[in-house]
Amino acid sequence: MIEINDTAWQVMVDHAKDAYPNECCGMMTGKDGQVSSAIPCKNIYQGDQSDRFEIDPHDILRVQRQAHDQGQELIGFFHSHPDEDAYFSATDLKNASPWHAHVVLSIRQREFRNAKAFRVDLDLTESTEEELKWPKS
Amino acid sequence: MAKILIPTPLRQFTDGKDTVEVSGANIGEVLNALTTSVHPSLRNNLFTPEGKLRSFVNIYVNDEDIRYLDKDATEVKDSDTISIVPSIAGGR
Repeated sequence: MIEINDTAWQVMVDHAKDAYPNECCGMMTGKDGQVSSAIPCKNIYQGDQSDRFEIDPHDILRVQRQAHDQGQELIGFFHSHPDEDAYFSATDLKNASPWHAHVVLSIRQREFRNAKAFRVDLDLTESTEEELKWPKS
Repeated sequence: MAKILIPTPLRQFTDGKDTVEVSGANIGEVLNALTTSVHPSLRNNLFTPEGKLRSFVNIYVNDEDIRYLDKDATEVKDSDTISIVPSIAGGR
């Protein structure tokens, strides 16, 4: 199960709203599935960002190292689906990490609607929904 | 020996260790030793059954991605820190 605290959740929703109508992306750190911090990232996808995102690997390296040094862990990643549901698409699946959780936020007309968390298998062929708790969920 | 930082989800395959030191002249040798003699249960996470690095795995020597250095032949010194970093993208 992934449980996101108030502060991290606010950062994630604000980032998704700010990026609208484009997809936002970021990372979640904490411990044992408890997300205590969210790090908004720049979407570096070269092209139409309204339906694509890519996280700079250097950002992942930096956050992973910081988490390591602070005794925390990189729990997973988040991104938004503007004017779409919170599902895990074929493109999401093909470009995911099986070691981490993936949270998708549905944002419609710049308002938060729903969120879901997913895990993927090692071959990136199958996603499974994971229980997700956020403030007031 | 070069130091390899192990991401938290992979520590279940390294007896809980967050850092592993492995010998090798280049990154290919280091990763091979890490996933065969040192912690063989890591192998499936990093490599396909055909022996290729999985598509979502990026390897950094200090701050440099080996894809932009000499890939597997990238030289490794004792003072180097190696990081295993997932690549993440997506879209609808």
